[in-house]
Amino acid sequence: MTVSRRTVNKLILGAGLTAPYHFVRPAVAQPKPGDELVVGVWGGAQERIVKAHIEPALVEKYGCKISYVLGGTGERRARAYAERGRPSFDVIYLNIYESRQAVRDGVTQAPTPAVENFENLYPLARLGGYGVAFNPCTIVYDKTRASAPITSWKDMWNPEWQGRIAWPLMGGAEGISALMMAARAWGGDENNVEIAFEKIKELKPLAAIQSSQAQLFEMFDQDICDLSIEFGSFTRSYAETRNPNIEIADPVEGQAVTMNVACITEGSRNQKLAEEWINLHLSEDCMLAYAREIYYSPTVSNLTIPDDLKPKLIIGDQVDRLVDFDWDVVTAGLPKWQARFDREIAG
Amino acid sequence: MNRWLGPALAAPVTLCLLLSFAAPMLVVAMLSLHEVADPFGPLLQRPSLAQFTVIATDPFYSRVIRETMLLGFGVTAICIVLSYPLAYWLARMPAKWRPLAFSVILIPLLTNVVVRSLGIILLLAPEGLLNSVTGLVGLPPMRNMLFTHGAVAIALAQVFMPFMVLALYDSLQNTSPRVHEAAESLGASPAVRFLTVDLPLSLPGLRAGIVIVFLTSTTAYVSATLLGGKKVWTTGMLVVQEAINYLNAPMAAALALMMTAIGLAFAALTSFLIGRLMPWTSGRKSRPVTPPKAVLAVIDVVGRPISWLLLAAALLLLLLPLVLVCVQSFNDVPQATASGFRGFTLRWYEAVLWGGAYADSFWVSMRLALASMVVALALALPAAFALARHPFRGRSVLLVFWLLPLSLPGIAIGVGMLRLLQIYVAIPPFIGLMAIHVVVILPFAITLLTASVMALDRALEEAAASLGANPARTFLLVTLPALAPGLFAAGMVGFLLSFGEVTVTSFVTTARLTTLPVRIYADSTFSLEPTAHAISALLIAFTVVALILIGRAVRLDRLYAR
Repeated sequence: MTVSRRTVNKLILGAGLTAPYHFVRPAVAQPKPGDELVVGVWGGAQERIVKAHIEPALVEKYGCKISYVLGGTGERRARAYAERGRPSFDVIYLNIYESRQAVRDGVTQAPTPAVENFENLYPLARLGGYGVAFNPCTIVYDKTRASAPITSWKDMWNPEWQGRIAWPLMGGAEGISALMMAARAWGGDENNVEIAFEKIKELKPLAAIQSSQAQLFEMFDQDICDLSIEFGSFTRSYAETRNPNIEIADPVEGQAVTMNVACITEGSRNQKLAEEWINLHLSEDCMLAYAREIYYSPTVSNLTIPDDLKPKLIIGDQVDRLVDFDWDVVTAGLPKWQARFDREIAG
Repeated sequence: MNRWLGPALAAPVTLCLLLSFAAPMLVVAMLSLHEVADPFGPLLQRPSLAQFTVIATDPFYSRVIRETMLLGFGVTAICIVLSYPLAYWLARMPAKWRPLAFSVILIPLLTNVVVRSLGIILLLAPEGLLNSVTGLVGLPPMRNMLFTHGAVAIALAQVFMPFMVLALYDSLQNTSPRVHEAAESLGASPAVRFLTVDLPLSLPGLRAGIVIVFLTSTTAYVSATLLGGKKVWTTGMLVVQEAINYLNAPMAAALALMMTAIGLAFAALTSFLIGRLMPWTSGRKSRPVTPPKAVLAVIDVVGRPISWLLLAAALLLLLLPLVLVCVQSFNDVPQATASGFRGFTLRWYEAVLWGGAYADSFWVSMRLALASMVVALALALPAAFALARHPFRGRSVLLVFWLLPLSLPGIAIGVGMLRLLQIYVAIPPFIGLMAIHVVVILPFAITLLTASVMALDRALEEAAASLGANPARTFLLVTLPALAPGLFAAGMVGFLLSFGEVTVTSFVTTARLTTLPVRIYADSTFSLEPTAHAISALLIAFTVVALILIGRAVRLDRLYAR
């Protein structure tokens, strides 16, 4: 095929005309007024805080609209998986292991420095998405019923707690933390949970199986149980407002890391807005609002934390002391462990 | 023309169910034949019975299925025993008081299932009302009433008893006063008359009530989760766990199909057994039963006090949790489940009325319920005429298909819908959500309207026609007004069902369409505040006012008169 001069001229002209598109394209991705960002988040206090501390700034800056899908992480995750590639959510909040699995499954994006505050995240909070709150799990108990303060995960096996323990339901972050820490305390780990199951069976009969913090606090109020494994954050609110007898243990083996993670879905049509949303979540204003209202510990290291809050949060070196797990092993083993828990411990 | 009238009238509802119900159901059936769970795998795979084999061989599953069945029997038994005196009381209520009496069963139906279950928690908790009352007479508190099969059974009975009462009321109301006069003139006391006349004549209603209560209670999971505290397992909970926590759709689908099969078998067995007790319906001769005199004497003595006692128990079970919900709405506690009154506050009402979020959800629910109810009635009415007046071949098979949504647990439709979400998102969200709600309402609307059409007096229509009215005019001026009570009843039930639906809705809800039950359920997964109680208390007040107003416009005493 011979290419005529006229054709070459046309190609050059065409290239010249289309070249500016290269510069224009990123501008097209910029949010425009009327765009709608869909955020899947928990109801209650979580919804209130993001509405007060993230939404107004974003709406003011871009004239966009924010809509929320409320519910637990379970429903959210199931829906995000069903919609992989064509998501109806832009940002979804997941827990630590769900978020890492979702990235591996191509449902959500891995974090990038496109979110400005990414640089300030603790390394632990840069996996599976953008960690927005540390929320470690530990033993919480009624100190008036304890012969001595609890200092080790093994203390749960003291006979004084027999029949008074509400064990957390397997599958949630509390349940996994409880199983993993029981395994660690008795010489096992993620790869050897047999010992944990055997030891937990020794604690039977359990006073109850608790499936949420709200349910646990009610069990404390109603004197149904005296000890459980729960997020320290919520328990601190509960202890301060309702039940001063409740103590949050800091065992020698450490507290189990759990974290709320904000994730951008693969295929989100509002990438820039989603990144800005998360950046605002990681801002000082929002982080401190969470810390102040529900004692969520910040995942960024560049905050000035008021003195009165410092003893109530996990900050600085304490973050390094959090016990992390091999989440690949945990995710792989989870279905089997859950099934075993339902059969041998619950019910 | 006439030969095709039946199928033509049956076509709209069949088409609607094919589009919005058969599709997710087919997906569920296909998923159940997958060998392993793969959220991203193709839907069409080489069929395998692996999931069913696991269910059949794993003692855990068979235990849960067995316990769920027993729970269903227990709940149905409680409902039967408590509903008879209540339905009888309603049927004998003077017309003036009927709207108010009806609110006894309609208000619980309008109150969110999460909130009603919380009401039971407030009743049974160690510091709850029951223990406070027994404490007054010096009894030590019972600390182990919650998280037991008994607690779950009570909660489920509270939730589903209104359906049984409505079904029984329907039959009891229909018994002619002349039959009662005949019984009395033959020397039957009220108690004996109930046993030998009212009870046999109410069997069709009992059959409908048993099927509805058993199917709905065995597929329920919200009350079972809240009251059973995960120490009590039901198959509904298993399906949710497999579908949501484990992302194991094949197992969830297989379990859901097992439940449907068991439910349908139960419904067929119930129909057969109760049908045997009613030989007169098939033209066979019935043999009169004469109880021994000693038994009759005992029945005469204890019949009345027992029936009053049961009526009181039924009213207490239905209303006490609601009273507690209202009290809790003024309680200054941080959590909805916290029992014991700690101080008076109006802040929950402030949050509901001025907070915005609940009000928005309330209007979404109202619009959705009204639209779904109207569409369901528009589809069910021709279907009812087809069933009652224009018999055609295959009608009974079609009827089974129409009633199938009742026996397939809502959560299964949700699992199916999850796989269809990619297609579903292309449909306008309101229409999509409405289609699902119409599916939920249709079985009830068809059953209620068919009975109404069957009871229509054809002589009136013939009279209108002989006076020169064309069919359209006859339908508008004669048939429709005569059907008004039936339409009203079906509409009311449809509205309430849609207004309270949470199971499937929570799967397919979108950011702009969060219904009130979904919002309350979403809040409860984090930490439910008594705002949920405040909005329920407002709805209770709204229902009473609405019923009184409606009672003035429509004769509520003819609500179920056929």
